[in-house]
Amino acid sequence: MTSNNFKKILVPVDGSKCSNKALLRSCELVEVFNSKLILLYVAEKSTPVNLLDRKEYMELIRKFGNKTLERATHVVEKKNISCKTILKEGNVVSEIKKVVKSENCDLIIVGNKGLGAVGRFLLGSVSNKLAQHAPCSVLIVK
Amino acid sequence: MKIKTKKILVPLDGSKNSLRGLDMAIHLARQSHGTITALTVKSVPGIYAIHPLGFLDFNTMKEIKKNLDDAKVRAAKKGIKLTSKAISGDPGYDIAKFANDRKNGIDMVVIGARGRSSAKEIFLGSVSNYVLHKSKKPVLVVK
Repeated sequence: MTSNNFKKILVPVDGSKCSNKALLRSCELVEVFNSKLILLYVAEKSTPVNLLDRKEYMELIRKFGNKTLERATHVVEKKNISCKTILKEGNVVSEIKKVVKSENCDLIIVGNKGLGAVGRFLLGSVSNKLAQHAPCSVLIVK
Repeated sequence: MKIKTKKILVPLDGSKNSLRGLDMAIHLARQSHGTITALTVKSVPGIYAIHPLGFLDFNTMKEIKKNLDDAKVRAAKKGIKLTSKAISGDPGYDIAKFANDRKNGIDMVVIGARGRSSAKEIFLGSVSNYVLHKSKKPVLVVK
């Protein structure tokens, strides 16, 4: 085992409380391991109610994504850590997996649940899918 | 060193994946100057867990002891203190219970993605999945 095997850490954010927790935890790890931090927001492309609304809807989501990323960068920069931000569109889990592959990430840090209210007591669906299908290690912050 | 993971729980079952989890835990513990608690759960089907004769299975006990000793040597080589523990019961349930117990003060659980039961599966092992859902502490799944 090499001395540093967490070279790149991916943190998918969605603006929820748990993702903030994950962000703070990843800051700790980055400080200790001197790794690169990548923040990712995935805009979910769900089925549109109305074809005409779609454009507007995506714009709203994109705006929210940019805001979330900005806020997250702000938190990170307070701790003197530089990071790279990526905004993607599509299915959340598959986009995260694609980014992991293209950036060669070693670790994903996610909160145990996101914005979905249904799985309040359980693991979130995205975290669950990530834990099962991700090609690299996953840290689930509770 | 600001990292707060002082006590790391590593469930071991003697499989390669769990050893990888151990390596990762050692790596983390070195950075945070923490200690590792290795836990092996002897799988005992339901009712035998209460029965005293359930513990009298010497062969598996020997194997578990050997696994834990190996783990201890592995950690000691890197200068990490490792406390080992063996209990019997249902693996998933007891690992989660152990992790949630405030007396043990576990800060993080490091677990291999698959154990020995489903070596060929592409998916997450059942025990890892159970611990992932039920543990109240952060869980690191090592692939």
